[in-house]
Amino acid sequence: MDKLAEQLKRDAEMIDVKVSDDLERRIAASLQGLSPEREAPRQRPAVFWWASSLTGVTAALLLITVFNVRTEREELPQATRDTSPVATVVSPIIEWNAQSAMLTSPLRQELDDLQSDIDKARRKVRDDIGL
Amino acid sequence: MRQSDEHILIEAAKAGSSDAFADLVRLYQVRLLRFLLTRCASFADAEDALQDTFIAAYRYLNSYDPRWRFSTWLYRIAIRNAHKIRRENVVELGDLSDEESDPLVQCIASSEAENLWVSARRVLGDEVFAATWLRYAEDMSIKDISQALDRSTSWTKVNLLRARKALDADLNRQSEGAEVYG
Repeated sequence: MDKLAEQLKRDAEMIDVKVSDDLERRIAASLQGLSPEREAPRQRPAVFWWASSLTGVTAALLLITVFNVRTEREELPQATRDTSPVATVVSPIIEWNAQSAMLTSPLRQELDDLQSDIDKARRKVRDDIGL
Repeated sequence: MRQSDEHILIEAAKAGSSDAFADLVRLYQVRLLRFLLTRCASFADAEDALQDTFIAAYRYLNSYDPRWRFSTWLYRIAIRNAHKIRRENVVELGDLSDEESDPLVQCIASSEAENLWVSARRVLGDEVFAATWLRYAEDMSIKDISQALDRSTSWTKVNLLRARKALDADLNRQSEGAEVYG
């Protein structure tokens, strides 16, 4: 052991500490009503995480499917009855293919958000059970 | 106490023996309180942190992994509790320059030379101080210190080396000052 290590050891021992009777009593009293908690089974959370993940993904896919089916069934909007020259020029420009592709975007976002929520919940559960 | 005796006490405490845990408390309370004094802003805070540490240790005893040393696990809990209490009180240890308010200084037997741990607390960061304490006051291995602080072994090695350099430099400054003013 070198000089510095020796001095650190010696100086630590010079810190004169006594645990008072009062503190000993406090600790004993606070432990009296307690008992060690049983360790939580580790397999169940894993199954739960998988089940919740699958449920979330299935729900998101179902939503996407329902939305797409509905979109296909919707009729094209009636041509505007406005007789102004501007309206007549603008209405033929609408492209349905491009529009329907854009409408699925929020659902993709929703799916990503759901997945992100599941990941957050998983991390929280891990933090909660870990000491 | 031998490791095997400690292991017997831990197993008995896990089975619900409060007497066995009381023996463990007696075994570690002074060492932990001494360490907590260096981490807390007052003696009362250190006592509270010690009490909270034993309560948490007993409550979560079944999650203790016997691959670790029991002391490593206890110190890990103690470090968290001290940090929590300091965060609640919003007192920085660096602010304790006044000897009357510093619980560590109050507990040091009077000596001509300054206690190195007081210097260490002044020149080292929180975690590096804890690592240094666990290494030199508790003789813990690098691996145990890394586990107690939840850091990598390389972080621990590097920072212990830096701590030594910083303390050496501080010691040299002190001795130079003593030569000039002595």
